[in-house]
Amino acid sequence: MPDPFYDPESEERLGRAFDRRLIQRLVQAAHPHRGLIGGSMLLFPMLALAELAQPWLLKIAIDDHILQSDWLGLTRVAGLYIVVLLILYGLRTLESYLMELTGQRVIHDLREAIFGHLVSLEARFFDRNPVGRLMTRVLSDVEAVSEAFTSGLFAVVADVITLVGVIAVMLWIDWRLTLVTFAIVPPLALIAVYFRLNARDAYREVRRRLARLNGFLQESLQGMAVIQLFVRERHERERFGRLNSDYRRSLFRSTRWESSLYASVEALGSIALALLIWYGGRRIVAESLTFGALVAFIQYTNRFFLPIRDLGAKYTVMQWAMASSERIFGLLDRQPEIVAPAAAAPRPARSSAPALEFVGVSFAYEADAWVLRDCSFSVAPGERVAIVGATGEGKTTCARLLNRSYDVRQGRVLVDGVDVREWELASLRRHVGIIFQDSVLFAGTVEDNLRLGADGTVSPVELARAIETARAGFVTQLPKGLGEPLGERGANVSYGQRQLLAIARALVYNPAVLVLDEAMSSVDPESEALIRQAMSGLLAGRTSITIAHRLSTVHTADRILVLHRGRVHEEGTHAELLRHADLYARLYELQRGGAPA
Amino acid sequence: MKRAIDALQTHPATAPVGYDVALIVLFAVGNGVARLGSRFAITGGCQRIEADLRNDLYAALQTFPPKFYAEHSTGDLMTRATSDLSAVRSLLGFGAISLVSTTFAVVGVLVAMLAVDRWLTLWALAPYPVLLILARRFNLRVNERTEAAQDQLSVLSARVQEYLSGMSVVRAYTLEPRARADFGQANREYLRLSLALARTQAGFAPAMGLIAGVGTLVVLWAGGRAVVDGRLSLGALVAFNGYLAYLAGPTVGLGWTLSIVRRGLTSMQRLQEVIEAVARDLPGTVVAGALRPAWTEGGLIQVRPVSGMAIGAGAVRADCTEGGLIEVRPGSDMLAAAPGLRVSHLTFAYAGRPAVLRDVSFEVAPGETVALVGPTGSGKSTVGLLLARLWEPPPDTVFLGGHDVTKLPLPSLRAALGYVPQEGFLFSRSIEENISLGRDGMGPGTLRGAAEVAGVADEVERLPDGFGAVVGERGLTLSGGQRQRVTLARALTGDPPVLVLDDAFASVDAAKEEEILTNLRTALAGRTVLLMTHRLRAARAAHRIVVLDAGRVVETGAHDDLVRAGGLYARLWRIQQLEEEIARA
Ligand SMILES: Nc1ncnc2c1ncn2[C@@H]1O[C@H](COP(=O)(O)OP(=O)(O)OP(=O)(O)O)[C@@H](O)[C@H]1O
Ligand SMILES: Nc1ncnc2c1ncn2[C@@H]1O[C@H](COP(=O)(O)OP(=O)(O)OP(=O)(O)O)[C@@H](O)[C@H]1O
Ligand SMILES: [Mg+2]
Ligand SMILES: [Mg+2]
Repeated sequence: MPDPFYDPESEERLGRAFDRRLIQRLVQAAHPHRGLIGGSMLLFPMLALAELAQPWLLKIAIDDHILQSDWLGLTRVAGLYIVVLLILYGLRTLESYLMELTGQRVIHDLREAIFGHLVSLEARFFDRNPVGRLMTRVLSDVEAVSEAFTSGLFAVVADVITLVGVIAVMLWIDWRLTLVTFAIVPPLALIAVYFRLNARDAYREVRRRLARLNGFLQESLQGMAVIQLFVRERHERERFGRLNSDYRRSLFRSTRWESSLYASVEALGSIALALLIWYGGRRIVAESLTFGALVAFIQYTNRFFLPIRDLGAKYTVMQWAMASSERIFGLLDRQPEIVAPAAAAPRPARSSAPALEFVGVSFAYEADAWVLRDCSFSVAPGERVAIVGATGEGKTTCARLLNRSYDVRQGRVLVDGVDVREWELASLRRHVGIIFQDSVLFAGTVEDNLRLGADGTVSPVELARAIETARAGFVTQLPKGLGEPLGERGANVSYGQRQLLAIARALVYNPAVLVLDEAMSSVDPESEALIRQAMSGLLAGRTSITIAHRLSTVHTADRILVLHRGRVHEEGTHAELLRHADLYARLYELQRGGAPA
Repeated sequence: MKRAIDALQTHPATAPVGYDVALIVLFAVGNGVARLGSRFAITGGCQRIEADLRNDLYAALQTFPPKFYAEHSTGDLMTRATSDLSAVRSLLGFGAISLVSTTFAVVGVLVAMLAVDRWLTLWALAPYPVLLILARRFNLRVNERTEAAQDQLSVLSARVQEYLSGMSVVRAYTLEPRARADFGQANREYLRLSLALARTQAGFAPAMGLIAGVGTLVVLWAGGRAVVDGRLSLGALVAFNGYLAYLAGPTVGLGWTLSIVRRGLTSMQRLQEVIEAVARDLPGTVVAGALRPAWTEGGLIQVRPVSGMAIGAGAVRADCTEGGLIEVRPGSDMLAAAPGLRVSHLTFAYAGRPAVLRDVSFEVAPGETVALVGPTGSGKSTVGLLLARLWEPPPDTVFLGGHDVTKLPLPSLRAALGYVPQEGFLFSRSIEENISLGRDGMGPGTLRGAAEVAGVADEVERLPDGFGAVVGERGLTLSGGQRQRVTLARALTGDPPVLVLDDAFASVDAAKEEEILTNLRTALAGRTVLLMTHRLRAARAAHRIVVLDAGRVVETGAHDDLVRAGGLYARLWRIQQLEEEIARA
């Protein structure tokens, strides 16, 4: 079975990015929060002080007061103790909140950046990257990165502070013994490097498989009706189970690295201890070391290893974050292929140029599977043109090129005489409005959907007129009228009703050029005729392109273009084309004559 | 280690230190291995539980009807299946372990403390009731706020999912700024809610520390007084303090553990909500009225057959398969002939809406082709959905082969139907897989045959990878007509005795439609066909036409009769004809 999740040039192929660059990016991401981070860091020394004060007060209480039977003094120390406790409580609460605050802010900002970036990416990107995977990027990868700050960065700083203190004390007690303890640092470093190289791969794999799993889940949720209709539950469940256990296995593999690191640090700690006792013992025998110093030293070695073991855990978190940030920054670094030019061309003042023009356009979605080949046609301002052609001929593709969802391979697409690549993207799309074949509605009220993209300037009267024109009067019959909530993709109205709403939405959007791609394919003939009549009044003098299979829809157009083999095969009015007795005439006869019952 | 130190202490000169050192190294390695083993066992176990939970959730999701999906957005369900599921994993793994170890530590320390001094133990424990009260209040708040935050995460995820899957519209309507603003707003709200949760949680673990510290203080003060009064030895006090310090760690840890447990439980509750949604709406009728998802004590979802299953009816065979799931295959006598279809006095309303079908009755004889026509929104698709029981019809209104569909086991009912939904959905898999959907006995020949009847074979073969070509999400990389014909081919494979074609030719051109209709006439000879369409030419080819208007059957009959009768159908027909006549002039 072929791998259902192909990623030929998806954002997942990142290669081995340099850690340094990644860290730079992370630092950049942290930059806006430097105040917060700095503030939290300031807390650490204070915390350490408050922590150290506790045992010290205990010592004073015992040595100076209890042993001296000084009851009053004991009470005073107890008072002091409670103050220290309260301070500690306050500091810890603050620390924990600041940490969470920083983490959540980083998450917030990253999510915003990723989502904002995603919506600016071109159509081709979405052809290749399923939504479920992108969701994983926006929603869960960012959490790993924020961990890098909270559990990683902060804790590392705190640990390093402790370590420095411990090392200082150890050196102060006996530098030779300290060196013995340090003897295990090189193997530790080796293990860490080895771990990093292998664990990173394991983590990458985990993230990749999780994205796959979520992608599958997302798609299943959307296509559940198909799965149920064809009784494929079991088959899909098995597939899901396979992806799920793939994910689990990779997770477990990553655990292996994590646990090994943890266990090796642990074991190295014990070995250091053994070395200390062995070496210290010999020195005691040689009487160059006091017994008390050795015991103290052992205590300190324990203190030394605690943060180091923690550092191991932190290291793991950082590696996770690195694996996730590779993916995040890989995505953020992917420049949108279709962007407005730096300086948009000025729109021509006079509109003698054709409203729309294709000049020798060739286009292929993939390699050399050409859809349009040297295709040329033009539409005069105010002209109503229809495009017909067999299915899969490239009609929708023409519409997509008009609003620059894709860029042509060769030739030029001109709108108002200006190449679309020189238009400011937003104003091009404001100018050329397209009703696409599958009318996607969004969850939200009917009114929200109709006003989509139209900037709040639409009056209720205009809204009502658009509804009237699109024969979408059914909305007034809904329990909440215009305020009726629509389901995801408009699932709770009929398919034809969705198309009517999409037409109304386009009328509200009110673009200068309107392109209707099979906009009424699932609308009954009567409504269609009425809509066409109403629109012809509304769109009088407006440039429009209608793409349709039902010839009854197109025959009233000023001009009909017949698309065949990637170019305009014939063009003319309905009557002219019939006289021409070629493709169009043949299609027309088929439809009119129909099949005998 | 203690031995080594003791040895050093007692006979500094002769201690067999080398031996002990070797022992320490041995212990270290042993300890490492043991730790490794236990960590593997524990995390591995948790991961397994998580995976099982996810599988079970998926299995449960598969049994839910469209009604459920109308109430839960994809984004919401995704959040539950990801974020909530991993919270449950933390609960099971980390939470459970540390809860157990804390309990052991506390019990051990308590015993030791009681052995030293009973009276002082009472003093030491004095602040702990406060802890219980705090924990209780904390629990409630965290529950509330976790739920709020997770709900908002669902909203956020729904926004992402919706905008990203509607990118063509986002692009065409320059909605990017709006999408960003909309997302930004949900994102900020999530930030606010998770910080509210953080505020609740921030104080809790330190508060535990505070309480533990106060315990020490009380002991110091009360114990110190006892020592001053000579009622307690200093040694006992120091030992006591040592034990108490030992208790402090788990106490502080408890604060943390409790948050994890609480969050896990809240997430569990959110998962449960999903599972129970169906038990509530469709009591006992998830699959063929026979399966009921149930939560067991271990927190695992299991789907078990309920006793007295209605499976059987002579026509089908039920096999209990592993995991307690039921696989039902159609029995032979049901597939033998094309079953007829009957709708009688069917009245149906979607939840919260007025009735969309009112007293609808019609019949499709075995082997007959009936077309359902009518204006947009008149209820044609609804009839199909009820027949396939994607929505549940009232009992005794829809019959297939003489059986009430609500009494038929779901799998055998659906296996008998070849259904082309109005909105074609393709998975981002190869075209081959999209047609076969992994059904048994679908060789390349069968698939190609079906694709040929659906008039899409040539086009598919022209694609770079032919039938192996992987399509984009929802079939994004195919043209509208190609997508529709692939779904038609999917319905045709497997020779279903009944076909439901819901507007299946809407996106194809006249020539193609003609070609497909001709193909279908031979391929579907003898099958029962229900055809919903707006193209009256396709309807004309049917044996009979049922005309729906606003949920009622207004006319029934053959094309010529209906045209003569001069009703709604005649009007629609005339409109189409008229258009063409005008065009001809
Ligand atoms: N996103 C895409 N990626 C790759 N190939 C595509 C993509 N979209 C369309 N194609 C292919 O390009 C060709 C033209 O598709 P297009 O959607 O333009 O056809 P169409 O004329 O609109 O057909 P229909 O009448 O069926 O809607 C088809 O062969 C199709 O498979
Ligand atoms: N899931 C749903 N929830 C609530 N109402 C719905 C739902 N699906 C459809 N409806 C409503 O039920 C009515 C009938 O819808 P149905 O899809 O059966 O119409 P149809 O005849 O198939 O229309 P079309 O020709 O547009 O496909 C419509 O008014 C529609 O708004
Ligand atoms: Mg198209
Ligand atoms: Mg319908």
